[in-house]
Amino acid sequence: MKNTRREIQDRSFTFFSSLSIVLMVGALVIILGPMLRRGFSAVFFQGTVEFRRMQLAQFGHGDEEAVADEVAQVTELRQEIYAILNKFQAGIEPSALIDRVRSINREYGQELRGKNIVGADYTELRRRARDLRDLLQDALESTDRELVEANLKSVLQHRADPLYTDSVMAEMFVTARQYQNVIQGIDLSHREQYLEPLLEVKDQLRKLLGPMPGEQAPLLMEEYGATRWDIALETLHDLLWQEQWVTVEAGQELQKQLVRREESQFAGTSLAPMFGLAEDHLTDLLRPKRTIYWHYFTDDWKEGHFFGGVGPEIYGTLLITLLTMLFAIPFGVISAAFLVECASEHISVKIIRICVNTLAGVPSIVFGLFGMAFFVLFILPNLDRKPQGCILTAAMTLAVLVLPVIIRASEEAIRSVPATYREASLALGAGKFRTFMTVTLPAALPGILTGIILSLSRAAGETAPILFTGAVDMGPVPRSLFEGSRTLATSGYYIAVGDKIGMMAPHKQYGLITTLIVLVLGLNILAILLRSRMSRKLRGQ
Amino acid sequence: MKKALILSLTILIASSSMTWAQPKILQIDGSTTVGPIGDAFAAEFMKMHPEVAITVKKTGSGDGAAALVDGRCDIAMMSRFMKSEEFKKCVNKPGDTVVFPVAHAIANDGVCVVVHPSNPVAKLTIAQVRDIYTGRITNWNQLGGPNRAIVVISRDTSSGTYETFDGLVMNKEKMAANVEYVNANPQAQARVASTQGAIGYVGLAFLEGVKALTIDGVAPTRQTIAKGTYPISRPLFLFTNGYPKLGSLVHEFCTFYLTERGQEIIEAKGFVPLTVY
Amino acid sequence: MNHPTDISQYRGEKTASVSASAEFNRPLLLTPGEDLRGYLVGHGGRIFLFLMTCISVLSVLLIFIFVIREALPFLREQGLRDSITSRNWYPERAEGAGAEFGMLALFAGSMYVTLASLILSVPIGLSAAVFLSDIAPFWLRQVSKPIIEILAAIPSVAYGFFAILVLAPYMQKYWNFDTGANALNASLILSLMALPTIISVAEDSLSAVGREIREASYGLGATRCETMLKVVMPTAHSGIIAAVILGMMRAIGETMVVWMASGNANQIPTPWWDISQSVRTMTATIAGEMGETSQNSVHWHALFMIGVFLLIFTFGLNMISEYFLARVKKSGGK
Repeated sequence: MKNTRREIQDRSFTFFSSLSIVLMVGALVIILGPMLRRGFSAVFFQGTVEFRRMQLAQFGHGDEEAVADEVAQVTELRQEIYAILNKFQAGIEPSALIDRVRSINREYGQELRGKNIVGADYTELRRRARDLRDLLQDALESTDRELVEANLKSVLQHRADPLYTDSVMAEMFVTARQYQNVIQGIDLSHREQYLEPLLEVKDQLRKLLGPMPGEQAPLLMEEYGATRWDIALETLHDLLWQEQWVTVEAGQELQKQLVRREESQFAGTSLAPMFGLAEDHLTDLLRPKRTIYWHYFTDDWKEGHFFGGVGPEIYGTLLITLLTMLFAIPFGVISAAFLVECASEHISVKIIRICVNTLAGVPSIVFGLFGMAFFVLFILPNLDRKPQGCILTAAMTLAVLVLPVIIRASEEAIRSVPATYREASLALGAGKFRTFMTVTLPAALPGILTGIILSLSRAAGETAPILFTGAVDMGPVPRSLFEGSRTLATSGYYIAVGDKIGMMAPHKQYGLITTLIVLVLGLNILAILLRSRMSRKLRGQ
Repeated sequence: MKKALILSLTILIASSSMTWAQPKILQIDGSTTVGPIGDAFAAEFMKMHPEVAITVKKTGSGDGAAALVDGRCDIAMMSRFMKSEEFKKCVNKPGDTVVFPVAHAIANDGVCVVVHPSNPVAKLTIAQVRDIYTGRITNWNQLGGPNRAIVVISRDTSSGTYETFDGLVMNKEKMAANVEYVNANPQAQARVASTQGAIGYVGLAFLEGVKALTIDGVAPTRQTIAKGTYPISRPLFLFTNGYPKLGSLVHEFCTFYLTERGQEIIEAKGFVPLTVY
Repeated sequence: MNHPTDISQYRGEKTASVSASAEFNRPLLLTPGEDLRGYLVGHGGRIFLFLMTCISVLSVLLIFIFVIREALPFLREQGLRDSITSRNWYPERAEGAGAEFGMLALFAGSMYVTLASLILSVPIGLSAAVFLSDIAPFWLRQVSKPIIEILAAIPSVAYGFFAILVLAPYMQKYWNFDTGANALNASLILSLMALPTIISVAEDSLSAVGREIREASYGLGATRCETMLKVVMPTAHSGIIAAVILGMMRAIGETMVVWMASGNANQIPTPWWDISQSVRTMTATIAGEMGETSQNSVHWHALFMIGVFLLIFTFGLNMISEYFLARVKKSGGK
């Protein structure tokens, strides 16, 4: 029946219309949700003792004593892990041990001379010590297990010799004993195969706990271990598990496989217990604590956004936006006043309207081109300045971008003031100018303010126009209006396509973008609230 | 309304502590590959000389050269040598604005051809790479891999990495039309790491999460690049206008790579130092 | 009758009958000097306002002048024909090997991305406009308006981030695309960005259709669907077309999102309907290559030429939308 068909059509039409709104809200949530959540984690997160150490050393935030206490406690615990590691490393790479053994021998010689033993005794003792040293050195260098064990045994036979009890040679025996223990689990003939995995493990350990005692980190970001608990957990995972790509079928894609290192690379070695130790005691090693990093908004970043906050970016954005408003508001409001109050249907007014609408439609990148061609390359040289982008040119470019928005909003606002207000004022004898300033403008203020705030948020969020006219990637906090500056929007872009540090600190990327979104949204919500409040006041409620 | 006015006035007054003068800044523009080194050097410098301000822009080797020609920067970072047109532009400038570009090689880098780690293909010849990029080979099964279309990723034309690749691999042939262009090394790495059929080329410092191929039998490692046995290796340059005056800031910056600290930084950033210190 | 010979009493002095009145310094009778001054001030002020307003005209003129000025050398050196018919965009090849500036693929890229985003956003936008103007209760309309404004206010960099970090891997994993940075990705995001424009303009024009027309249609027994589709929307068609064109302008002019998300492959997808391939738009080309070119090289001028094309496009679209909006106003807001 035709009627049911029409009814079904009607119902589905209504349904689909409502669906579109749901779709939009859904899209908003999907886009903003994860970004805001990850961005907030730049300020609200679980910070480890490394974070507190970094904050104190780099930025001067935090209680010195408390941090020093924590570091001392944590260092004690870490010694265990480093001890296991060092012992294992000695077994793999005995070059350090060999050097030490040789220097022990030399020191023994000095010791003997100090005890005034000379002549044949001296030579004899030195010869015996040299033999021991050679035995031990061969043991350390060789990969033949039988030889090693034999040498070690013969070295250790002399351990109880009273000659060596309180001399420096005792250390040699200790070394021999330790080495004997260490090589129990190692396949000596394949010592090299442990070298590379050991380097990987040491790398991960450095990322987790910071530089090993006695080491100096070449880069700032390597001076501290994992500063956030989530990064620490990820690093722990990389430490414990090894990622392998194995062939399943010839010519087909490789499959990813995860194996625990203690079962694959270091099975049966003395390093294996270290993994379990690290896993079980990670909380004690890093002391994660819920942190609210308020200084995120005022600190500068170090090492390419790896540490620190976004203070200068916020400053740059605010500065450029304020300057833009300074340029755009007077022209905008006055133009709107003219268009409403004084304009006749003259052809010039029509042209002005066409131009305003054209300005509104120009793509933002063309504004960037114009800004560069005009402000940077034409105006600046005429002012005897280097043709480089700076805050001033960026603000002027944005002002031109934002002008039509202000003009339109102000025009609408002024036009919507009821004619009765104007007529009443004129009837009371006020002139046109006074009427405008004392009656029309205050009445139109909500709308004008909304327009200003909307264009503020637009200027803060624009990236393309200021890319070539004033934004820089890295640079000092600007001290003059003729310098370039970093901004939230452009830094967000640069960090996404720039250094790999951006990928290592994704929370920083999201933090930047979230700060920008929060700023822009905040301004918009302010506009909405202002508008509703003022229009209520206007309607006399 | 009043509050907003007062707030904006205070911000204005605070920012009026800014001057109209132009302070002395060291401007460094150029390659995104050399960018990390430039950033790290700049950070060190600003620690050593707190009164100096250094600005680093990373928009591509081509822009670095352009900025040096126009006088917009003091040091240009480039991951390739200057082209003859750029040299001509420098010396053809009128009168006393002539620019004499001087190259300082500060590190070695290799352009590694990378694929997704799940790709069973582990070695290619330069000719095969060229065929992939010119579109003659379009599927991995033509190379012994799975049946998957090859997604070819390249750096954009302003990049020195692109130029190196173009010169040493492409033999001046044009790349296929369906080649995707990305703007920087990390982007290329991210694309290849997340796309199973992708192939791209990145600098030595960006091998995390991707697999580097052996080209013509040589794997890209520190040793092979330093010795030049890896076929796609290249030095990284800093270009200045004339040799910088001894003792000036520019001179210090351009010779920083000779110090131990400089070499430490270069190595820590994943590049190959020029010398073994 | 006493004619006043002394006019001073009419010059700003309070007369007895006007006691607590406002302080007006306006005399009731002006001397010629004051009259002239008032005239001059009035008209001078108006001229001053006119000049201030002309800043916008000046800006538009300057934009056109400077962008065209930088693009002219390209026309002189390369000529127009090759650029708009060839697909080969190899601007940085050495002079000997022949730098080519074929912009066809760029035009096609912009077209693909814009049209695809319109295909997605126009139905959704119009349905949402219909919903907001006719179906939604008052409170829902009040809540939806801020949501739409928030959608419009999100900076494009944030959208670009989402596109490349979340949407691209998703597409590769779940839809089995070869590459996640393609025309479809950029179109999806652009449609989201064009939606607020389309919705607000369309909703305005739908609301402006008078109640009588709707009531007449309901009175004749039409359902809501039939009323909207066959009566109201055709009446508001000028406004709707203007909304679509404004959305199109937004999509064409967007830079950051397409730069990050469209893959930047200089090609026209083969087969032509495959939007899962990577494309490059005009805006992304300018943004991506502007930093690298040295001033006054052919490449520089070529980029400004692309800017000129963009300007012409958007200007034309603007004129068309103006025409339709004027028709809306002319027919008394219908």
